[in-house]
Amino acid sequence: MDRAFRRRLELRFGDRLSGPIRQRHDETEIRIAPADLPEVMRTLHDDPAFRFEFLADLCGVDTGRVMQVAYHLWSDTTPDWLRVIADGLSRDEPRVPSVTFLWKGAEWMEREAYDMFGIVFEGNRDLRRIYMPPDYRSFPLRKDFFIADDAARSPGAGVRPMERTHVPANAVPGSAVRHSKVD
Amino acid sequence: MTTSRDPAAPYDIPAHASADDPRVTLEEQLGVFEPIPPYPPRTEREAEFYTLGEGEMFINMGPQHPSTHGVLRVVLKLNGEQVVDLDPVLGYLHRGVEKLCENADFHQAICYMDPLEYVSSLFCEWPAVMAFEKLLDVEVPRRAEYIRVLSTELNRIASHALFMGWMALDLGGLTPILYSFIERDEIVEMLAALTGQRMLFNYFRVGGVNGDLNHEFMSRLGAWMSRATDQIEASLTLLNENEIFVRRMRGLGVLDRETALRMAVSGPNIRASGIPFDLRRAHPYSVFPELEFDIPTRQEGDCLARYLLRMDEIKQSLRIIDQCLHEMPDGPVMAKVPRLLRARPGRAFAAVEGPRGVYGVHAISDGTDQPFRMRIHDPSFVNLQLVPLMMPGNLVADTMAIMASLDPIMGGIDK
Repeated sequence: MDRAFRRRLELRFGDRLSGPIRQRHDETEIRIAPADLPEVMRTLHDDPAFRFEFLADLCGVDTGRVMQVAYHLWSDTTPDWLRVIADGLSRDEPRVPSVTFLWKGAEWMEREAYDMFGIVFEGNRDLRRIYMPPDYRSFPLRKDFFIADDAARSPGAGVRPMERTHVPANAVPGSAVRHSKVD
Repeated sequence: MTTSRDPAAPYDIPAHASADDPRVTLEEQLGVFEPIPPYPPRTEREAEFYTLGEGEMFINMGPQHPSTHGVLRVVLKLNGEQVVDLDPVLGYLHRGVEKLCENADFHQAICYMDPLEYVSSLFCEWPAVMAFEKLLDVEVPRRAEYIRVLSTELNRIASHALFMGWMALDLGGLTPILYSFIERDEIVEMLAALTGQRMLFNYFRVGGVNGDLNHEFMSRLGAWMSRATDQIEASLTLLNENEIFVRRMRGLGVLDRETALRMAVSGPNIRASGIPFDLRRAHPYSVFPELEFDIPTRQEGDCLARYLLRMDEIKQSLRIIDQCLHEMPDGPVMAKVPRLLRARPGRAFAAVEGPRGVYGVHAISDGTDQPFRMRIHDPSFVNLQLVPLMMPGNLVADTMAIMASLDPIMGGIDK
């Protein structure tokens, strides 16, 4: 845990953070609104006090209530991993600015997040499916995914327990999403 | 396979949704492999790629092509023998491991890590157990850490040795792979004695490793270490002093420093471009701060540099193994961990430096015994993005050379 780094982040981004800075083990987590993402990322990347030049990971997260995009960054100015979470994307229409203007290598990771969650990255010039077939219509890693449209007609439908083809008849509307304490 | 299509023509999109559908005929399934997709371009890049210029043609390489290291399809846009552009098509090996992990408990999720990268399985297990240990606040015994370093460095040598053979095989040289399999097979047998499995080890556990070092492993390792340096040197001279190989590789597929950073590349590919970024030093984990080794770098950034850099890393791995054997402390190899793991709600990210780059796992727990979300970051996936960047202007035969020098493993790319 790098306390000094936490203070530097607070001083620089204090008004932009949409939640408290969390630190545990060798990780520091900040949360920002999706609209602030390009500016915050550019500052983290270019500012000589931060110099986060290496993008270690980019992934989508569906908490059941909102969508998030989590970025893991590395810099030689701190021994911590920095996790930037673009928080509060709506589950119905998740949109977030792309970071391909800083890391072109994020292009495929954003394609993957689009493929699995349906998160639209504005500014990514190649946002199409990467793993699933191009005519696939749903987003497998979403928490309310029940393989209702595609595999329902496959020979394994209804046999393999993971491939439940529909929400149980007595389910309360909206309860298909696994209840979670993840925020 | 030259085809041209009027971009304005209407499309007949079939009503069925997936190739799993038994009603899809063989012809329709074969149609999946046609280079031009039967639907309008969805993105700027796709529209640009699937528009043919004067004298250009499309050709598929893969998904069954042997040099694609698995099942990767690459659509090449050619002008004669020259590659104008290329578009990798992924997903033929997609198993949905991230989704599977959400339905497994923490112990079971580790099993799904091995088949991701079938030539360096231990490197996939490690970030997963590290992330779980962070979630559960488990302290790993020092002996277990040393065993982890020892076994993964052996795995790194096996992976790099296989890379050498594959690389030569992709260029048309058959001999080196026979030599590289000598090393790899010996290491794999050694790890089988240690872990019980030849390839999918499933050896790391949350809080340590599955078993202590045993006699068979130690005697095999001792016998191998005494001749490893000489034997590896001997098989390296096969290629390093081969005029045809060296001249073929030099100056091919150059990756400069800035592009490497911009592409988020890691591992030997970034170090061959002059950036000494190695997580074992840049973000020290396990017992690496106590071990002595160098981070080899090269400035050229071409295929030859990437090849030679991996061979330098083999020597550093041998150094690390030697130190591990001398400094291995006594003690338990497992921490006291409950049978049923219930993590606190929260997030953890762990990453290790593997033979291809940074392997990362971002695990999110919601307080149950299963990961709520399990993100697996694979370096080959990022590194493969370099191929469309490096290829334009090169010859078709160089596609294999450039792809082989990046050392992609499709199991990890497709997850």
